[in-house]
Amino acid sequence: MTPWTISNIFNIPSQVRLKSEPYLVFNIVFTGIILLMMLYFGIFSPEKDNYPITCLHQKLTGEPCVSCGLSHSFSLILRGRVAEAYNWNIYGMRVFLFFASQLFLRIVFSLIYLRYPGTSKQLIILDIIGSSVIFLISFWHFFAYIFKFS
Amino acid sequence: MEDVKNNTGQNLGIAALITSIITFVLAVIPCVGLIAIIPGIIAIVLASVGLSNASRTDSPRGVLLAALIIGIVASLISFSQVFVAGKIAEKADKWPSKIEEIITDVQQEVLKDLEDANVSIKIESGGEKIEINTNAGKKDREQALEDLEKENAEVNDTLDNK
Repeated sequence: MTPWTISNIFNIPSQVRLKSEPYLVFNIVFTGIILLMMLYFGIFSPEKDNYPITCLHQKLTGEPCVSCGLSHSFSLILRGRVAEAYNWNIYGMRVFLFFASQLFLRIVFSLIYLRYPGTSKQLIILDIIGSSVIFLISFWHFFAYIFKFS
Repeated sequence: MEDVKNNTGQNLGIAALITSIITFVLAVIPCVGLIAIIPGIIAIVLASVGLSNASRTDSPRGVLLAALIIGIVASLISFSQVFVAGKIAEKADKWPSKIEEIITDVQQEVLKDLEDANVSIKIESGGEKIEINTNAGKKDREQALEDLEKENAEVNDTLDNK
């Protein structure tokens, strides 16, 4: 009987070693960062309004910026209150979907990378292009805001 | 020994790439964009050290170069937030002057209204009441003055005739 290891479950070739694969290390670290981010937005609640990070723009200028209310919005999306999340920041859902998609893509691409080591180059190129496009779509309004003033 | 050196460069490359991507994402968010300059500098330093190590050992430099470029671009975006904040602050500075303008406009309008106002003064003391009604209206006062002048002129004429 074969043991229950990740290599056996996903039929990963035995020659693939995690330590020698920068792409896998990169994916694991990013997955961890996104999960930590989700934990942050899960711990701090919009009702208590106890977020340690505040808007620097608002502090400096007294005017709210385009990303104000993003923390509240993320917390509310995580709690399933999507309609309320839109009230805090209209682009909150878009940015949240970027991070959610990245979490999904990191896992899926890592598994594909492990399963088919021969297609690693194509996979990485596809990942870079795909992630860049998703990033631009999600953060477009923030880019526009920055370039409008600078 | 050479393998160890190569691994060190690669590890620095991964660390630099992760830091630079985090910097890029942070730099684009206006709320925390200014803070992103710190990881940006860290990413540039890591990538530079990694590149110098890699050039000594002839190891691959793709990841390091990518990290350096992303780090520099992210730092520039982050630094541009200073100008964004400056522009907003400039815009915000116009608000007090606008408020002043509004206040002076309102003041002038109130003064105009007061010029045409009717003033009524009531004084009560020990069951006695005194009521003074005056038209503070500028037009009315002007009219009253003209009437008085006319009356005076008519009176004077009659006196002269006598």
